[in-house]
Amino acid sequence: MAEALLVEGMETRIMSDITAQTAPPARWLTRERVIKWAPLLVLLFLVLLFPFFEWLEDFREAKDHIYLADSRFFSIRNAARIAIAATPALMVAIGVTFIIIMGSIDLSMEGTVSVCAVIFAFAFLGWGGTLASWAWLAIPLALLVGAVVGCINGLVHVRLKIPSFMASLAMGFVGTGFALLLTGGDRIRVEDELFRSLLTVRWFNFPIMCYVALAMLLIAWFIQSRTTLGRNFYAVGGGEELAHASGLNVSRVRIMGFTLAGVFFAMGALLAVGRIGIAETATGNNFMFISITAVVVGGTALWGGIGGVWNTLVGVLIVNVINNGMVVIGLPNYVQDGVLGLLVIAAVVLSTDRKTVSFVK
Amino acid sequence: MSFERIKPHLPWITLLVLVLLVGIANPSFFDPAGLLSLVSDVVPLFIMALGMTFAIYIGGIDLSVQQMANLVTVIATVYLANFGIGVAVIAIAAGFIIGAFSGFVTTRLFVPSFVSTLAMGFVALSAAKYLSGQRALYMDAELRDASFGWMFGRTAGVPHELAIAVVLLAIAWFLQTRTTFGRALKAVGSGELAAVASGLNVDRVKILAFAISGVFAAIAGLIFSVKLSGGDANLANGFLLLAIVAVLVGGTPLTGGVGGVINTAIGTLIVMVIRSAMVYLEIDATQQQMVFGIVLIAAIALTIDRSKLRGVVK
Repeated sequence: MAEALLVEGMETRIMSDITAQTAPPARWLTRERVIKWAPLLVLLFLVLLFPFFEWLEDFREAKDHIYLADSRFFSIRNAARIAIAATPALMVAIGVTFIIIMGSIDLSMEGTVSVCAVIFAFAFLGWGGTLASWAWLAIPLALLVGAVVGCINGLVHVRLKIPSFMASLAMGFVGTGFALLLTGGDRIRVEDELFRSLLTVRWFNFPIMCYVALAMLLIAWFIQSRTTLGRNFYAVGGGEELAHASGLNVSRVRIMGFTLAGVFFAMGALLAVGRIGIAETATGNNFMFISITAVVVGGTALWGGIGGVWNTLVGVLIVNVINNGMVVIGLPNYVQDGVLGLLVIAAVVLSTDRKTVSFVK
Repeated sequence: MSFERIKPHLPWITLLVLVLLVGIANPSFFDPAGLLSLVSDVVPLFIMALGMTFAIYIGGIDLSVQQMANLVTVIATVYLANFGIGVAVIAIAAGFIIGAFSGFVTTRLFVPSFVSTLAMGFVALSAAKYLSGQRALYMDAELRDASFGWMFGRTAGVPHELAIAVVLLAIAWFLQTRTTFGRALKAVGSGELAAVASGLNVDRVKILAFAISGVFAAIAGLIFSVKLSGGDANLANGFLLLAIVAVLVGGTPLTGGVGGVINTAIGTLIVMVIRSAMVYLEIDATQQQMVFGIVLIAAIALTIDRSKLRGVVK
C-alpha cells in the first residue's frame, strides 16, 4: 500500500510544487499553515473537549464546577497518567516514523518489542538483577538486539527485494515466535527497585520514564533534522529514483533506517517492561496498529517524505488523550473502540490537505 | 523455458513443492480424508482472504475483516431466533454497508485505507460488544440446524463447507475476470491516475471493492458462528494477519493490479500446508510461530513476481 503510492506520491508532490510557485505571496494564515498545524489544533481541541463533558455532567446535576479548574481530566495527575501510558507507544511510533518517511512500512514492532523485552529481562536477572550491578549491561544489550532485528528486517527487505510490508510482517512473526521460544510462555518479573524507579520516582509530578522518552524524542529529532541520515530518509521518501539518480546509496539508507527503528522499538520494550514490571511474549501486543495510527493521525503521510517525529508525538498524544478522556468522562466500555475509530478518522481528515493529494490508497 | 515464463506459476509450484516435502517427511499427510478435513477447516480464513484480495487488488488494504467477522458472529447468534436463515441477509448487508463506508472514507475523505478500515473495524467491534453485552453467546442447536444445517455434512464425500468455498471462489473469479467491474478493478490497481483520465468512476469502483471485502468477511463470520454454534466479539481474532498473509503469499502484491482470487486460493493452501506441516513434522508448540515466520519469508521471496512490481520495492 505504502509502496503503491510511490509513483502517485511523486506526481502529486510535483503538482503541489507547481502550485506553490504560482501561489500569491505568502500570508500569515495560509491554508497550508493551518493544515500543517491541524494535528496540534485537534489535540488542543480534545484536551478542552473532555473537561467540557465533565462540566456538562456536573452542570446537569447542579453541582459547583468551574470549567478546567475542577476537571479530573485537566489535572497534572491525569497528564502524568496519559504520559505514562503514551511513552512506550511513543518510542515505537518514533521508530516507525523514520520508516514511513521513507515511504516504506514496518510491521515488525510487536515481535521486536517482545524479543527485546524478553532478552533484556533474562540478561538483567542473569547478571545480577539490579541496576547497581553489571546487570545494567542488559540495557545496551536490549538496544543492540533491537538494532540487529531491525537490521535483519532491512536486509530481508532490501536484499531479497520483498516489499517492506510483507518482509516486516513476517519478521514480526519470527520475533514473537522467538520470544515465545525463549520464555516458553512464562512471564518474567523484573522487580529491581532501581529499574522500576523509571515508573515510581517522579520529578515534577512526572515519572522518570517520561523524561527518558523526552530525551529519546530529542535524539530522534536531532537525527531527523541535523544528520545526513535523517535528510536521506526524506530524500528516499520524496522520490526514490531521484535520490538514487543523485548518487545516494538507497539500499544502505533503507537498512540503516530499519536498524534505527529497531533501536527505538527496543527502547519502547525497555519502557514497557519498566512500566509493568513484566516481560513476556505478549509485551509487544497491540503496538502495531496503535503506533501506525498515531503516526498517521499526527500528519505523517503514509506515502513518505512528509511529517516527522514532532508530528508523531502529537499523534501519540491524540490517541492516548482520546483513550484516557473516554474513561474519565465515563463512556461505556463497549462504545470506546468505536468512538476512538471515528475520532481517528476525523483527525486524519482534518490534517489532510485535500488540494495537494489527488487520491489515497 | 526461461525463468521469466515460470515466474507467474511460482505460487502453485511453491505449493506443490511444500506438499511434496511434507508428504515425503510424513506420508500420512497424503491421507485423503485428513487432507479434506484440513482444507475444510481453512474455509472461513479462505473466504476472508478472498474478500481481502479485492481490497489489495486495487492497491489498498482492509484491516476491518476480523472485526467484521466478529460482529457477524454476534449478529447471527442474537437474531437467529427472530429471522432464521434471514440473518444471512442481515449479515451480508452489514458487511456491505461497513465495507462501503470504509471505501467512502478512503476515497472521498482521503483517509488511507490502512487507517480507515482499521477505524471502521473498531466501530464494528463496538457494535459487536454492544449487541453481545460483552458475553459469549450460544446458538440454539435446533434453530441452527433448521436454518444452517445444510452448511455442514457431506455429499459424495465432499464437505459442504468446501462446496461453499468453491462457489464463492467461482463468483469472485467471475467478478474479477468476466465483468467490466473486474476490468475496472485491474485498471484502478495498475494505475489510478490513468484510470481517472480514461473516464472511469474510480471512486465507485474502490468503494465497491471495499464493500465486497466486507461482504466476504461477513460470510466468513457467518460460517464461523454456525460452525462454533455461537457468537462473541473476539471469536475471529487472530485471522486478520493470516488473511493478509494468504493473499500476499499467493502472489497478489500490495501494489495492486497483479494476482487475483485464484492466487489467494493457492496462498491460503500454502498457509494451511505450512501450519499443518508443523503438526505433522512434530515441531514443538513454542517453536511453531518462529518456524512459521521463517518459512513465510522464504515463501514470499519465492512467490512474488518482482518484474510486475512497478518501480522500486518499497
